[in-house]
Amino acid sequence: MSGHCLVVDDDAEIRTSLTAYLQGFGWQVSAAADGQAMRQLLGLARPDVIVLDLMLPGEDGLALLRWLGTQADAPPVLMLTARGDTMSRVVGLELGADDYLAKPFEPRELVARLQALRRRSHKGQAAQDDTRLLRFGRWRFDRLTRQLINADDVGIALSSAEFRLLAAFVQRPGRVLTRDQLIELTRAPGVEVNDRSIDLAVSRLRAKLGDTAREPSLIRTVRGEGYLFDAEVSPC
Amino acid sequence: MLKRLKSWDGLGLRLFLLMWAALALSHLAAWSLVALSLHGPGSAEPVRRPPALHADSGRPMSPSPDGFGSARPPLRMPTFPSLPPELPWRAGLIDYGVRLALIALAAWWGSRWLAGPVRRLVSAAQQLTPALAHGRPAPVLAEDQGTREVRDAAAVFNRMAAELSGQFEERGLMIAAISHDLRTPLTRMRLRLETGEVEARVRERCIDDLREMNRLVESVIEVFRPAELAESQRVDLSALAQSAVDDLAETGANVSFVGPPAVVLADPVALRRVVDNLVGNALRYAGSARVSVTLSAGVTRLLVEDDGPGIPEAELERVRQPFRRIEGSRNRETGGTGLGLYIAQQLVRRQGAVLVLSNRLEGGLRAEVVF
Repeated sequence: MSGHCLVVDDDAEIRTSLTAYLQGFGWQVSAAADGQAMRQLLGLARPDVIVLDLMLPGEDGLALLRWLGTQADAPPVLMLTARGDTMSRVVGLELGADDYLAKPFEPRELVARLQALRRRSHKGQAAQDDTRLLRFGRWRFDRLTRQLINADDVGIALSSAEFRLLAAFVQRPGRVLTRDQLIELTRAPGVEVNDRSIDLAVSRLRAKLGDTAREPSLIRTVRGEGYLFDAEVSPC
Repeated sequence: MLKRLKSWDGLGLRLFLLMWAALALSHLAAWSLVALSLHGPGSAEPVRRPPALHADSGRPMSPSPDGFGSARPPLRMPTFPSLPPELPWRAGLIDYGVRLALIALAAWWGSRWLAGPVRRLVSAAQQLTPALAHGRPAPVLAEDQGTREVRDAAAVFNRMAAELSGQFEERGLMIAAISHDLRTPLTRMRLRLETGEVEARVRERCIDDLREMNRLVESVIEVFRPAELAESQRVDLSALAQSAVDDLAETGANVSFVGPPAVVLADPVALRRVVDNLVGNALRYAGSARVSVTLSAGVTRLLVEDDGPGIPEAELERVRQPFRRIEGSRNRETGGTGLGLYIAQQLVRRQGAVLVLSNRLEGGLRAEVVF
C-alpha cells in the first residue's frame, strides 16, 4: 500500500507522465503547476510526500520549501534539482528538503526514495536524522561531505560502504546490530551487501577510526551476535 | 578650460616640471644653507655683494678676513647660484650634500608617483581573474585621476573588464538555460520510455543514450560553471584516495591503492572529483588503475598509473584542453566526453596543486597531482 504524493512541476508532460508512472506503483497522485496550486491542494488534503521542482515560474522551489518549513505538520519534501552538485545539495538539505534527486532521474529511484521518505515520516523519526555534523568520542562526523574530522581538524574521507555503515551505527549507539540488520540498514542500489562486505567495511572503518580488532573502543564485536557502536552521539 | 588643461597634463610635462623644480630647488637650498653656515642667520646678502672691493682705498683684491673670494680677479666673482670652488671643505660638503639629498628625494618621490598608477593597474588586473571566476564585480580604476596616459589606460582597462564581465555573465546565463532546458526534455523522454509502449530492447538503448547525453551536459556545465566558493580544509589525501578506490572496487573495477597518511589543504569534494576523473580515465583506456600517495621532501604526490596505450608525447599538452580527444585509441567509442582531464586540471589548479601527465617507461600513462 503506497500513499498520497503531491507533484509540483511546471512542465505539463512531466506532471502527467509522473502521475501515470507513480499510479502504476499504487500511489495516489495530485499535481500542481506552481506554488499557488500547491497551496490550494495542500488545503484540501495532506499528502504523505511532496515532489518539488527547484525551478518554478514565479515563486521558486526554495521559496516554497521555506514556506513549507513554517507550516505545522508539513509533509516530507523531495526536491528535484537541475544539477546534482554539492551546492544544490547543501542548499536544498539545509533549507529543509528531506531528500533530493537531480533531473533527469531514474524513475525507479524516485519511487524508492518516496517510499523511504513515507516510511520515515510515519515512524516520525527525530530531527537528529537531518543534522549534518555529529560528534562522538574525539571525532566529528560530517554526513554531507561524508568524512570524519579528527581532533586536529583533518578530514578523513569515507567510502560509500563505510559511510553507510557509520550512518547506521550513529543512529543506534549502544545497541547490538546483527550482520543481517546491518545488511538491511546499509543496502544501496547497485551494490551487493553481504556478511563478508559488512566485515570488510567494519575493519576498514575501524582502521580509519584508529580502532584495532583486538582492542576496539568504538566498534565492539559482540561474539556470535554482531557489532555494537559504543559511544555517545550528539549533534554539534 | 579645465578640460584643455587636463589634456596638457601628460606624463612628459609632469616629469619635466618635476625635474626642473627639483634641480632649481636643490640649487637654491644648497646656496642658502651654505650662506647661512658662513655668515650666520640674516646675513645671506653679503655673499652676493662683490666682496673684493674695498671702498676706502679702491684697491682691488685685498684679502678678506674669511678667505671668501680672496685673491681672485673680479671677472671670476661668484654669481648665484653657483658657488666658487675655493669654498672651505665644510661648506662644500654642505653644498653637495644638500643637492644630492634633495635630488634623491625628488627622484624617489617621482618614481613612486610614476609607479603608482602602474601598480594600481597591476593589482586591478590581478583581481580581475578571481573576480570573474567567482562572479564578483570586476575591479574599477579611477578614470579622472592622474596624467592623460594614466586616465587613458584606466578607461581602456575598465572597458575591457566590463566587456569580459558581461561575457562571463552571459555565459553563465546560457549555461543555466542549457542546463534547465535540456534536462527538462531529457526527464520527459526518460519518463515517456517508462510509461509508453516501448519494446524492451529499444528502451534499453534509448536509456543508454539519454545517460550519455546527460553525462555530456553535466561535464559541460562543470567546465563553464563559475568556481564554487568551497572552503579548503585539511584533508587526509590517502583516506580520500582509498575511499574513491574502495567505491570503485565495490562496483567491480580493477583498482588498487597504497600510501601513507598525508595531510593536504584542499576542498574534499573537488579533490574527490579529481581522483574519480583520473581513475575513471585510466579505467576507460587501460581497464585497470593503480593509485598511490607518496611523501618526499615536503612534497605530497598523488599518482594514478595504468598499463594502457598511454598518450603520444606530442599530444600530452593537447589532452588537457577542453573537447580534445586523441584519434585512434581514445575516441568516442570508449565513452569519454573529452572533458575529464581538462576538468581535473581546473580543479587541481584551484587547490593550488599541479597536474603532470607523462608516459611511463614501461608503457601506460602516469597522472600526478603535486601538492
